[in-house]
Amino acid sequence: MAETRLAFKAGRAFRRGSTNFVDPDPTKGAILLQNGEDGLLHFIWKNRSNNDVEEDLILFPGDATFAKVEQSAWGRTYVLKFSSSDQRHFFWMQDANGSRDEEFVGNVNRLLADPSIVPIWYSEGYNPNSQAAGPSTSTSAPAASSSQAPGSYQATPEELARIRQIVTSLGARGGAPAAEPEPEILLTDVLTPANLRPLFRSNPELVQSLFPHLPPDLPSPPNVETLERIVQSPQFRAAVRNLDMALRTGLLGGLVRTLGLPEEAGTGVEPFLRALQDQARREEGGGDRMETD
Amino acid sequence: MSGDDDSSGWQLTESDPGVFTELLKTLGVPLVVDDLYSLDSASLAELQPLHALIFLFKWVAGQSSEPSSGGQYDPEFPGFFAHQVVNNACATLAVMNSIANIPGLQMGAQLSELFSFTQGMDPQTCGMALTSSDWLREAHNALSPPSAISLDGLDLPRTSEDAYHFVVYIPYAGSVYELDGLKEAPVRHGEYSEGGEGWVAKAREVIEARIATYPPGALEFSLLAVHDDPIPRLQEQLSQLQAAGHQSEASELVVRLATENSKRERWAFENSLRRHNYLGFIHALLLGMAKAGTLDAVKDGAKKAFQERIEKRKKGEAMDED
Repeated sequence: MAETRLAFKAGRAFRRGSTNFVDPDPTKGAILLQNGEDGLLHFIWKNRSNNDVEEDLILFPGDATFAKVEQSAWGRTYVLKFSSSDQRHFFWMQDANGSRDEEFVGNVNRLLADPSIVPIWYSEGYNPNSQAAGPSTSTSAPAASSSQAPGSYQATPEELARIRQIVTSLGARGGAPAAEPEPEILLTDVLTPANLRPLFRSNPELVQSLFPHLPPDLPSPPNVETLERIVQSPQFRAAVRNLDMALRTGLLGGLVRTLGLPEEAGTGVEPFLRALQDQARREEGGGDRMETD
Repeated sequence: MSGDDDSSGWQLTESDPGVFTELLKTLGVPLVVDDLYSLDSASLAELQPLHALIFLFKWVAGQSSEPSSGGQYDPEFPGFFAHQVVNNACATLAVMNSIANIPGLQMGAQLSELFSFTQGMDPQTCGMALTSSDWLREAHNALSPPSAISLDGLDLPRTSEDAYHFVVYIPYAGSVYELDGLKEAPVRHGEYSEGGEGWVAKAREVIEARIATYPPGALEFSLLAVHDDPIPRLQEQLSQLQAAGHQSEASELVVRLATENSKRERWAFENSLRRHNYLGFIHALLLGMAKAGTLDAVKDGAKKAFQERIEKRKKGEAMDED
């Protein structure tokens, strides 16, 4: 019985004639890496509409790599390419949430290089590209040594247990994506009009202090309605979404410094919010102030 | 993959009539772009004289490079036609293709020079000339958020909104032409008659035929109309009517002018929102929440919302892409 090592949603893309264009095929599919009954690693593409396996490639260690297609404007196109031939298979990520692309792709390449490895799944809040030095700044990830090279990672015993659990659940579900993430905080759920409206209504001083941060070329002078309009606008929501995604890369240390926050604040959404709460406390001038009323 | 997918400093813009109209203003072109919700005679009549139609649709896999029904490639097309060389520039490219062939069009000096420069160029070279034009790129980028918070270097997943494609329909030398920056040449769709609705009647046929080739509901598209700015004309008509004492007709025009002006104000508001970097505003909002003592409760609410979404997804079809 074949053992699924990892699986994720992906569609195929095909070269357009002899051009350099690759067109995505909309068929819903999944890439699965399985240890076959033959003892070999199989790179499989399965059609999710009818569950048919439409591609089944046997790959020996080092035969192939799974690389990002940098020239793809869409950004989530990958190519399986072979060391010994010109063969190319193109794929595109089909999970609406792209924040785990790197994780999946990293594991694909690790398995392609050495099918005996255990896939590495990031725990909540952990990002191996984080610039944070010293103990972990996220709530549940184990401490990552600051001397580690980005991208390399040694699992702790707790994580190995979790990884074993995930791999088992992968097999049981027959290829479904890995265990559910624990509740995260999305900035887009924090800065909702519903959360902001009461703030505007009850805080005229805050409202005034916000005006200088608004676009300087508004057609008419701002008021509370302007604020409400802006926080509901697609442009503002896109900016919040972008900031959320950017924070998740863990690479915003430099940017958050310009806001008077420590570098750790740029390593994720929760660190960012915690650092903001610290900053608020400091600006209010008291360390004993209770955060909730 | 084609090397022309590199963004070359062109940022992604929204395909909104307000954005297109602002771009035209920057180029010194006195035309306006409006959403067209219907191709019926009444809707089109309001926008005459109509200079070009832009058909936007989500890129569907398997797009063949054959011209759509009824058309033929015209590689000898003597007018302006540029290939799409950089994906992010597609909106501006569509605007260029839609206005470059309008006879006697008023425009700013830089655009005029650019059109002279590209005269006689093949579509690929023409596209590259547009893409290498610094001032044009700056005019284009002015309509999207400043790159301080641009994510191009961070390798982040893009949303599916990026996949819009633009096709321009124009009248040229008595025929309706389709200018598609991803096709090898303009497509000639046949002659139109000058009377009545003119070229738009033929264009309507062609566009409706194209829409009909997709299964119902499979194609997400919208239509934009490039036409003269109606405000000067309406204002002149209004003064004439008022001078002649035709009060009721004058008040109708007042209403139309008011509607048009409020739309322009909305566009100006949205464009100023588009150009803005929200980092400072977001910081101030979160700080404000923290100081008001509500951030903890909000964070808990956010965690709950996230959890609820996961539960919903588990219950629903697990493998569908949003």
